[in-house]
Amino acid sequence: MTQQAAIIAENLTYTYGALTAVDHINFTVAEGEILGFLGPNGAGKTTTVKMLTGQLTPKDGRAQLLGLDITQHTQAIQAQIGVCFETTNLYEQMTAIENLTLFAELFGVKGFDAGALLARVGLDGRGKDHVATYSKGMKQRLMVARALVNRPRILFLDEPTEGLDPVSAEAIRALILEEQQRGVTVFLTTHDMLEADRLCRRVAFINQGKIVALDTPHNLKQRYGQRRLRAQVTAANGDLETREIVLDAPDTPRAVEALFSREQVVTVHSEEASLEDIFIQITGRGLV
Amino acid sequence: MKRWPIVRALVRKDLTLFFRNRFFAYITLLGLVFYIIIYFVMPKAVDETLALGVYSAALPEAVHAILDAEAVTYQIYESDAALRAAILDGDAPAGLVFPPDLMAQLRAGQKPRVDVYLAASTPPEMRDVYVAVVKGMALALGGQPLNIEAHEITLGPDMAGQQIAPRDRMRPLLAVIIIVMETMGLATLIAEEVQGGTLRALLITPMDVRDLFVGKGIMGVGMTFIQAVLVMGVTGGLRQSPVLMLVALFLGALMATSIGFLMASVSRDMMSSIGWGIVAMVILSIPAFGVLFPGTVTAWGKALPSYYLIDTIHRVANFAAGWGDVWPNLLILAAINGFLLWLGVAVLRRKFS
Repeated sequence: MTQQAAIIAENLTYTYGALTAVDHINFTVAEGEILGFLGPNGAGKTTTVKMLTGQLTPKDGRAQLLGLDITQHTQAIQAQIGVCFETTNLYEQMTAIENLTLFAELFGVKGFDAGALLARVGLDGRGKDHVATYSKGMKQRLMVARALVNRPRILFLDEPTEGLDPVSAEAIRALILEEQQRGVTVFLTTHDMLEADRLCRRVAFINQGKIVALDTPHNLKQRYGQRRLRAQVTAANGDLETREIVLDAPDTPRAVEALFSREQVVTVHSEEASLEDIFIQITGRGLV
Repeated sequence: MKRWPIVRALVRKDLTLFFRNRFFAYITLLGLVFYIIIYFVMPKAVDETLALGVYSAALPEAVHAILDAEAVTYQIYESDAALRAAILDGDAPAGLVFPPDLMAQLRAGQKPRVDVYLAASTPPEMRDVYVAVVKGMALALGGQPLNIEAHEITLGPDMAGQQIAPRDRMRPLLAVIIIVMETMGLATLIAEEVQGGTLRALLITPMDVRDLFVGKGIMGVGMTFIQAVLVMGVTGGLRQSPVLMLVALFLGALMATSIGFLMASVSRDMMSSIGWGIVAMVILSIPAFGVLFPGTVTAWGKALPSYYLIDTIHRVANFAAGWGDVWPNLLILAAINGFLLWLGVAVLRRKFS
């Protein structure tokens, strides 16, 4: 059975004056899939999210969400999506409960339980505090909670864990996986490659407004990365030295045999290329 | 989706944020108390009597008799120095010093010198009045009163004995201050919404930009209208034609909201909103000063939108003007509001996008 596409982008393009921020990109995201949208700052990630969520009208191409064109059915689509922005934009002089309740009212959610949602993001007991008193991690959790107020079918998360402490980041990652289990489609924008590797079924690399690669992390590593065997051996003078053997090469078996027969091996580890290595390999630039 | 629950949520949110901004919360509540106190501290009547201090080493009975006959209140001082001190201290607005041989000089056909002391604050028109009083006295003392009978005919409402008290002239200014304070609050709310990015979050909900303007409009008009009605009610401004006054105040509140939208389009935060608000306050208050100090604002004041509100409040509250008298003002004010609202919404839409 073919999974239905939750998001379809066709030749999606946006320009700011002479600058082409997003340049005819094409991709689909299946329902219930987590797609990682990876790229350095200024690559076009946020502009893409803005077009997909109806904040910007594409200059060319089109985007369909849940079978509807975003430019023609903006409000109908916005009622079914949740967005977590890259920068904190909460009402700081209001409490967390007031923030969530406001958005529940705007979405027309009946019987909204702010306390239960706050508990899901680990903010139970702090709901009546003004957001201004929250730490950055708490604010980010509240941002994610706000994106979930309307039980969205598609969740857009723009750098949701950037700059967070490990505990807060882990809590948010767990929440993303929970939502995916519920069948929610997640469009995750990040430049944290480890996070993308762990959470996403597929990842898209965007660079200078163009998608330069789109596949599962495993396939990308297979296609672009080199698997290696890294061994520490004891040299003749007693010092520890490192040996590296590229796997998947024609002479790999012979090299491995030689390593173990001729060297005094102390430790052996297999290594595969990270998504960051692959991104650098494809684009010639880093992620920041 | 029904729009009203969305608008209601937006208004509730704006009211919460407005009153959690300590500056605007305090200035709104304290301002209301302060405006009412100012009104009641101001004089409630105009003193129409002509007061004088008089000194003469030997004041003739004839002068006493003339002063008693004039509509003048006077006090005799013991010395020239005492009279000067009284004027300098503000106890007497003006003083007359008659020479001790006044009558002898008059009989000899000489021109006796009468010094007229005037306080520095005496307005020019009153200086002439005091000098005219002395000249009239001289003619009477010389046995040659002016051989004419002056017959007063007042054109328009005769305010003699019932001059508009300074506190009542103050009312339009209070209304303008309330309006401008609310424009600052509204502009701050909108500017901070844009600057803080919360607007972006709102716009990715089923809320429409129109809902946002309706919500802000209800908040701006409501806050301004309620405060203006409260102050006018307490200060007696609603006694004459209350419905007419309420319509005028509603149009004033609408003007505040429109100007608030315009200010928000050029403001980044609370400080810049207050900066623009001060400029607006100075400009919009000018016609109110024309009411406080008649003659200081000429026809050009009609170029200011607040003129039509201020003139209406002044005439309705102080001259019992009715619909027939002020309908052109209301019509012009409504037209100006329509234009300002259209302009404010248009420039804000650009800012939002």
